Amino acid sequence: MALAEFLAELDQLQADAECTFQSAADAEALEAARIEFLGAKSGRLKAVQKGLGAVGKDDKPAAGKRFNEVKQAIDAAFEAAQARASAGGGKQAASAEFDPSLPGRRPRLGHLHPITQTIEDLKEIMGRLGFTVTEGPEIEDEWHNFEALNIPAEHPARDPLENFYLSTAQALAKSSGQTTGQPLLLRSQTSTVQIRVMEKTPPPVRIISLGRVYRPDTADATHYPMFHQIEGLLVDRRVTMADLKSVLRLFARSFFGGDVHIRFRPSFFPFTEPSVEVDMSWHDRWIEMGGAGMVDPNVLKAVGYDPEEVSGFAFGLGVERVCARRHHVTDIREFYKNDVRFLEQF
Amino acid sequence: MIVSWNWLKEYVLLDMPAAELERRLMMAGLNHESTEEVGGDLGIDLEVTSNRPDCLGHLGIAREVAVLWGRSLKLPAAAPREGAAKVTDLTRVSLECPELCYRFTGRVIRGVKIGPSPSWLVRRLATIGISAINNVVDITNYVLMECGQPLHAFDLAKLAGPEIIVREGRPGEKLLAIDHKTYDVGLGVCVIADAKRPVAIGGVMGGAESEVTEATRDLLIESAEFAPLSIRTTARKLNLHSPSSYRFERGLDPAGVDWASRRCCELILDLAGGELAAGSIAVGRTPPVREPIVLRLAQLPRVLGITIAADEVRRILQALGNREVKADSQKVEVIPPSWRRDLTREIDLIEEVARIHGYEAIPEDVSVPMAPSARSDEDRVLSTIRHVLTAAGFDEALTLSAVEEEWSQAFSPWTDAAPLVSPTPILRRADRLRRSLVPSLLGARRTNETLANPTIELFEIAKVYLPKPGALPDEERMLALTSGGDFFAVKGVLEALIARLNPAARLEVIDASLELLDSGRECELKLNGERLGFLGEASDQGLKQFELRGRTTVAEVRVSQLIKAARLVPQYQELPAFPAIGRDINLELPEAIRWADVAAIVSERSGAALESLEFKEIYRNDALRSAGRKSMLFSLTLRSREATLTNAEADAIRASIVAACGERFGAVLRA
Repeated sequence: MALAEFLAELDQLQADAECTFQSAADAEALEAARIEFLGAKSGRLKAVQKGLGAVGKDDKPAAGKRFNEVKQAIDAAFEAAQARASAGGGKQAASAEFDPSLPGRRPRLGHLHPITQTIEDLKEIMGRLGFTVTEGPEIEDEWHNFEALNIPAEHPARDPLENFYLSTAQALAKSSGQTTGQPLLLRSQTSTVQIRVMEKTPPPVRIISLGRVYRPDTADATHYPMFHQIEGLLVDRRVTMADLKSVLRLFARSFFGGDVHIRFRPSFFPFTEPSVEVDMSWHDRWIEMGGAGMVDPNVLKAVGYDPEEVSGFAFGLGVERVCARRHHVTDIREFYKNDVRFLEQF
Repeated sequence: MIVSWNWLKEYVLLDMPAAELERRLMMAGLNHESTEEVGGDLGIDLEVTSNRPDCLGHLGIAREVAVLWGRSLKLPAAAPREGAAKVTDLTRVSLECPELCYRFTGRVIRGVKIGPSPSWLVRRLATIGISAINNVVDITNYVLMECGQPLHAFDLAKLAGPEIIVREGRPGEKLLAIDHKTYDVGLGVCVIADAKRPVAIGGVMGGAESEVTEATRDLLIESAEFAPLSIRTTARKLNLHSPSSYRFERGLDPAGVDWASRRCCELILDLAGGELAAGSIAVGRTPPVREPIVLRLAQLPRVLGITIAADEVRRILQALGNREVKADSQKVEVIPPSWRRDLTREIDLIEEVARIHGYEAIPEDVSVPMAPSARSDEDRVLSTIRHVLTAAGFDEALTLSAVEEEWSQAFSPWTDAAPLVSPTPILRRADRLRRSLVPSLLGARRTNETLANPTIELFEIAKVYLPKPGALPDEERMLALTSGGDFFAVKGVLEALIARLNPAARLEVIDASLELLDSGRECELKLNGERLGFLGEASDQGLKQFELRGRTTVAEVRVSQLIKAARLVPQYQELPAFPAIGRDINLELPEAIRWADVAAIVSERSGAALESLEFKEIYRNDALRSAGRKSMLFSLTLRSREATLTNAEADAIRASIVAACGERFGAVLRA
């Protein structure tokens, strides 16, 4: 075979291969092209290689050199095409069949209850302020729910109609130490947990207690007989109401963002003295945050602390109220209906 | 408590705008609810906290205004002109129940002329929402709303005899009250009685038979102090709440009882005429003597975080009615006024000074020392549970802690003990504290079915209440699920969750038979050998009981066991340096042999070389079925940490597994 003829054949092969590889629309077409040109048994390159043997002896080095160049070029063209194919179609004109605007295949993701999300946020912020999360029983004795909290027997809050007492309580409480003879009830506030923590822990104490509480309110848009409370407690030497105001402001600024201010209005809670309602400035008006105050000396005494040595503050928020305001939920009964169309909004 | 602006002006100078009055009262503890204009007057509704019954009358509010603006308070004289006749000649009172009624006073006015009240009185009562009846009744209401002390005027002629007895009601006794309803005034109820019958429910409401009418001439004016707890119990029991009971429940000024009586008589003499008998009948205890309270000035900054000048402290305390006994540079000693029974301790005085001085003075930007706060293991595990379950497509539900009796009975996998019951249902019929979350979740499922929601995948993390004899109940936190997927879908979710918490944790199943669940599709779960919970598809009967149309799989597991098993800080395992080698095994074996049996053999025979074992499928055809056999396909990944595992070694392990399965289960290798 004449060298020129062989070289022409090589050129043609290279041109054909490059063109075919480049226009291969998908992996399947590319594979067919690979077999056509680079197939080990009957590929066209292999066929041309056979022609090398027929080239004259003197022309062989040149023919071999050229053959190697062409082989490398075809290999490179294939690899480039392959890279494009595996990169998802390459820069070539995409197939008209490919519609990237079609929806993807979404995994179904569940949603955390908005109350949980609010609690987690509150916990996280209070955690950064050094408050450790604590929990306690929802079923309580009168000592923890009332007496230790400075709520004496004649206080209206102890009225059986204001609480959920449990009917088998008397029998249950018979032989349980401190609760002897005391009826049990569903706790009406999470301050019970503060008592339990202080009974076991010497000061300083810096905790938040949270969980379900129960009060016999008729369910309506703003009331539910079960709701969640989050309460903070800080007891240490030299704790003042200025600390309370400042911690609440840090909290409000972290939770709501912006430059929030705190206002105290006098109020009354048996377990704090002084007691205040806490407001925060929000979009140029004052909105209620919750109740707070300095831990009543009687409470400190009840848990064995010396009110002359330590002082402390406590505050409480209703989680449902915070959550409803945050998400503009207008009826808190929605929180307990568990309609998945509601849950999936959060 | 609604106050009339014009009325308030009787006692204190009001020259500020109403809005300013409302604001400052609010900032001093009287929350402003609303203000309504009534015939040229303002009715200002103020919320009075339960510790401040002294503010349940115009005088109390006026005193707060006087203190806040530094003004003087004008008190009515309450000095009625007495006639010649002696009250002791006209009536007698015996107090038989001093535990229910602390003090009872009576005055007698004879010869009154009943008629309409003057318009100023009618208007003031109208402003605060009280309709006028006649001059005497209106005056008792007026004095009630002036000083907070309830009063009652009896028509003396309608009482059976001159003697009044204050006693406990007797079983079966009834009284027609002035609201024209009949009440049972039995044991525990304090009644005012004449010689024959009860004529009033003490502290709550008067009786119709002795009420003042057009025909009334002679009056017995009662002013008394009843025990707060007894009044509250009575008001609840009779479901009869009056302005009187509201005030007595909160505890009134013991020294105000006689003042109110005199004030009432003074107004009656002025507006209805008649002659007041000299003196009063007073039985029961005298107002308790108040102990002095010492306020150490250094305590103010210690509690409030601000300093308040000693002069200001003394001014506030005195203006509020405290009588200063002593004062020096270190402390102030005062005797609180009789109407402030809430002031008994130093801290109470601190609050008084603070609220009048103003909480605005307390800074909101002091630096609070930092403190560490640790996240509990429980919190971290709960967070992982929530992440895994939402990733698995479950929505979080929150359901009520109590259920109705039928649901409570339907399912109690954790205890045989009867549930705790609240005599008052928590909501609708739900009065039993739940012993499992599953019934509540099935209820939520039904709600969603009713709403035609197509996908209902719910979980809840909450407590169940397991009664324990002689102790507080066990409140155990559970994770429960309800899914539209089948048994294995939910089992897979639980397996994924446990693997996330600790890949080495050992989950086992045990046969179980639980109410509500399908006997062929249920099991109990153990984690590391301890009881974790249960899992199963609801039976037809269970679905019917909860009125569910679609099938569901439920599970409930103990969060405490998940916490116990969790490896919260995983430890690094060196990554293997040598390649893995895979082997498939397809065994034909008797139906009774379970995957867990086979997996145990695999694990035993592969030893340390077993990296993972994957179940592929169970296959049955007619021939296998009729022989009571099935085919089980699985694949193992083997790897050595010391060297590249050879094919020969892998084959040997595979052969050993097959041999052991053959020996123990009669399994044979399928082609």
